[in-house]
Amino acid sequence: MSDATPAAGDGTAASRARATGGGDSPGRGTRGTGGYWTLFVAMVKHRVAHLRRYPVNTLSGLANAMILFAVIFFGGRALDSRALADSLEGIIVGFFLFSIATTAFAASAWGVTRESQWGTLEQLYMSPLGFGPAMLTRTVVRLIESFVWGAGTLAFMLLLTGETLAFPVVTLLVVGVLAVAPALGMGFGFAALALLYKRVENIFQVVNFAFVGLISAPVSGVVWARLLPVSQGSYVLGLVMREGRRLWELPSTELGLLVATAIGYFVAGYAVFMWASRRAREQGLMGHY
Amino acid sequence: MTTTPDAVPDDRAGESAGAAPAAQPGTGSDHALAVRNLSKTFGSGDEAVRAVEDVNFAVEPGTVVGLLGPNGAGKTTTIKSILGLVVPDAGEVRVAGVDVRESAREAYRHVGAMLEGARNVYWKLTPRENMEFFAAVGDEDPAALRERHDALLDQLSLTEKADEPVNDLSQGQKQKVSLACALARDVDVALLDEPTLGLDVESSVELRREIRRLADNEETTVVLSSHDMDVVEDVCDRVIVMNDGGVVADDSVANLVDVFRSHVYRVDLDGTLPGRARDRLRDRYDAREFERVAGGNPDGERFVVSLAEPARLYDLMDDLREAGLTVVGLDSLEADLESAFLELTDGAAGPDGARPAGETGESPAEGAAPADGGVSGRE
Repeated sequence: MSDATPAAGDGTAASRARATGGGDSPGRGTRGTGGYWTLFVAMVKHRVAHLRRYPVNTLSGLANAMILFAVIFFGGRALDSRALADSLEGIIVGFFLFSIATTAFAASAWGVTRESQWGTLEQLYMSPLGFGPAMLTRTVVRLIESFVWGAGTLAFMLLLTGETLAFPVVTLLVVGVLAVAPALGMGFGFAALALLYKRVENIFQVVNFAFVGLISAPVSGVVWARLLPVSQGSYVLGLVMREGRRLWELPSTELGLLVATAIGYFVAGYAVFMWASRRAREQGLMGHY
Repeated sequence: MTTTPDAVPDDRAGESAGAAPAAQPGTGSDHALAVRNLSKTFGSGDEAVRAVEDVNFAVEPGTVVGLLGPNGAGKTTTIKSILGLVVPDAGEVRVAGVDVRESAREAYRHVGAMLEGARNVYWKLTPRENMEFFAAVGDEDPAALRERHDALLDQLSLTEKADEPVNDLSQGQKQKVSLACALARDVDVALLDEPTLGLDVESSVELRREIRRLADNEETTVVLSSHDMDVVEDVCDRVIVMNDGGVVADDSVANLVDVFRSHVYRVDLDGTLPGRARDRLRDRYDAREFERVAGGNPDGERFVVSLAEPARLYDLMDDLREAGLTVVGLDSLEADLESAFLELTDGAAGPDGARPAGETGESPAEGAAPADGGVSGRE
């Protein structure tokens, strides 16, 4: 070790031996020089490498969403073009949210399952930066990715339908993140199930369908529906994109409820996940698949 | 030697134990790794399974230790407890002096792990990308470790494959990538679970060489579990044998093998043993591997015995004479680690099941034997 900063617990013979620079060490680095930003950059590079290395897989994922929307659009127009035209803006906003919510959910739920299958989850668990922060960093990267895919799908939908929607960028980002946060929380919750019960992928599939119902829930008519995950976000996102309202123009109660549901579901999901990781370690299930 | 007397019938066990001062694992700061009174039971009630009980050992820096044991012996639980992946019911694990339970994140700065062979790397990434990723996960700046990564790739003969997806590499190369990732940053302790599993001879030899280099040149402490006795015998300074959740032996490879070298015999008889005589031999001399030898007149019989001390050979001869049989051949068998291991695990798993070291009063913590194995350094 060249110029190691002694960490807590150093002073052992191992550390002392290193401090004196014994052996032909292959270029030791310093300890603790990384940090969360380095981890974030590494996670971004990791994800980009995945996507670039398998372009067909990457593009087919995007194409799936576009094709699905095209089927809905042309199918709906063939059945009742007037009804479709009346609700097209809502469908586009809803589909946009569906696209990013399912991607974000998959990043949490499927992501943990796959990491567990690959045996990489244990490595993330053993991060000196902490398992929770490592998983959160991973989630942020996937959230950004979900917005990129969502934006691509949205552009396609607008081009296909010829519709126009408002894009107050800052408002859209804030509301978008708050709208998707419950999906991330749900993802962590189901990832917790995967940690403890392993093969639960079939439940994940069902949740994808549940998002359709949650996004289209009649929040203006049914008050309690606003408390459902993603539903309030869908409603407020509609106000932003269809009516062009800015953050400060949104009703404070609607915004407050959006923030409350976003934080509530996300924190609850994350807490359940961390509890499950503790249980998994107690039961010897961590890394066991 | 921390081998329990019941498990290792050797009169030198006591000498070894008494010769070296008993180190108390976990209390000294000179240990790279210290496991003290580790116990873990999975489940509860009738379904409770005791995975490990009162496991004690400590490892000095720059030592390669092999963790051996049959399936279910508690090796994986021990390794996962060291890594914090299993929460023990009792006991303490310290890595480089840091308590894994109390300061897990700090402890992880000092440890790298290769678990389950070629798993725990991303197969869609290249070896270099994997190393950089896991360096960042380990709170290191990958850019600052470029030189280290290049050297590791070179030492593991992966330089030419550095930028190919792991998925396209051979099994041996994948396992080397896994090892490289465990060492992608500077660690004091590397835990390697079955590092050579499924490797061809050449790759296995390369990997062993690299493990040895880590210990000799970098003072890295390596704990490896393996079913491959050749690997353990070749690369380890010291072996900890586990059985039924406890440590049944903890000594250098040479000492373990030596214990069995002189006292394991193959006995050839001029006739066959009556059933009762065979049972008596089993009970008194741990006789086994009974085998009829055809071709004589009458047919002969052959078996193997492990004697607690050479003098017991006279007793054996007396018993055989009483049974009316004549010994026509007596060979002292050369012991290797495998035979020592079989002796240890069979011996511990007697009719009443295994007896963890703690129950015999021979646990290192109780001072009956040195926690650091009594033998340190590569001989």
